[in-house]
Amino acid sequence: MVSNTTADIADLIARCALRDRKAFADLYQRTSAKLFGVSLRILKDRAEAEEALQEVYVKIWQRADRYVAGGYSPISWLVAVARNHALDILRARKPMTDDIDAALDVADAGPDPEQAALDKGERSRIDGCLAELEQAKADAVRGAYLDGFSYEELAARHNVPLNTMRTWLRRSLIKLRECLTA
Amino acid sequence: MSQADDMDGSADGDRVLVAEYVLGLLDAAEHQRMARRIADDPGLAAEQRLWRLRLSSLDNEFAEVTAPQSVMARLQNRLFGSTAASGGLVGWWNSLALWRGLAAGGLAVAVAAIGLNLLQPRVDVDSVATQLVAALQANEGSGVEFVAFYDSSTKAVRLLGLEGQQLAEKDYELWYIKGDEPAVSMGVIPVDKRTSIALDADAQSKFGEGTVLAVTLEQKGGSPTGKAQGPIVAVGKAMPI
Repeated sequence: MVSNTTADIADLIARCALRDRKAFADLYQRTSAKLFGVSLRILKDRAEAEEALQEVYVKIWQRADRYVAGGYSPISWLVAVARNHALDILRARKPMTDDIDAALDVADAGPDPEQAALDKGERSRIDGCLAELEQAKADAVRGAYLDGFSYEELAARHNVPLNTMRTWLRRSLIKLRECLTA
Repeated sequence: MSQADDMDGSADGDRVLVAEYVLGLLDAAEHQRMARRIADDPGLAAEQRLWRLRLSSLDNEFAEVTAPQSVMARLQNRLFGSTAASGGLVGWWNSLALWRGLAAGGLAVAVAAIGLNLLQPRVDVDSVATQLVAALQANEGSGVEFVAFYDSSTKAVRLLGLEGQQLAEKDYELWYIKGDEPAVSMGVIPVDKRTSIALDADAQSKFGEGTVLAVTLEQKGGSPTGKAQGPIVAVGKAMPI
């Protein structure tokens, strides 16, 4: 496996801003599996996810100069581009009637040791804060972030009325914010 | 989202809205409205950064899935595939296709094709104008290429960008390097149009076969120190024609 240090990825993004095609190919090679995982998990359709992945890397090539080092880790920036693109697609095709339980079979990610070490502070923080919420509510927050579930989908999955889910989640977000900024 | 909500308008209401925006829970119209509000309001933008940063800790829960080879092939083709040169009967100096071929295929063939004074016998350098050409080729895949043409009778270097894009907040800067001497700036150059750069007496005396021309990417307005600071994106050696 290719080692992906944060500095390597940041450097490749910077070189993409200099229109370095080789850096772009490297960046794709090192990060496309992650971003394909994001597209696939949210879109739940292989052909659509492939199409989305292509669009995502076009955006990355075109917007590489907007990545600002510091603050956000470079891989998180890339994940955000992929995640937001997938969510845009979901929003555009609403109202959706897809059977979400026919979702594809993607194994849960095992923890990536390097990323885990890198994120340890933040990671334990959000885990700790999510743990302060009731399990179902923490799951709803995760479902929205990781699976791109809408309020309707979350309500169906948790067997509660839509308005109840909204109230739940909004109160949970306020609590979560208090904990995260404490 | 229902607007009849007990949290609307309050600080918590806005915070929750930003969190819902980042999570992707708003519908298309609300999402767009929120995007505009965040763009206009530094407080909301800070709130957005907070949520993005904190939630990004969950990113390692996305499993890696290898994408099919065909995606990269389509991507390469789409981004870089059609660099078709704009042809036309606009004279050899204006012919991008010709100069691209020159840069790509080596100098001699193209120079012969232009029919410049290649077959003239070498004579005393002082008695005849020196003409030099340099193909500044992309360094490490930067995608930036120039052709430079120097004529001692006009005391100017003409420069043509073949490949490369102008970048926001950045400028390309041209340098010449004679032997082991430090690079001397010839100023900031545009990548998208032809330029002519007049040479001073010092530069004229140093221009000759083997002089290296290089283009670096610098901050807007060029390097403030007179020394190249950015990466070299194109480089080439002057050759007589």
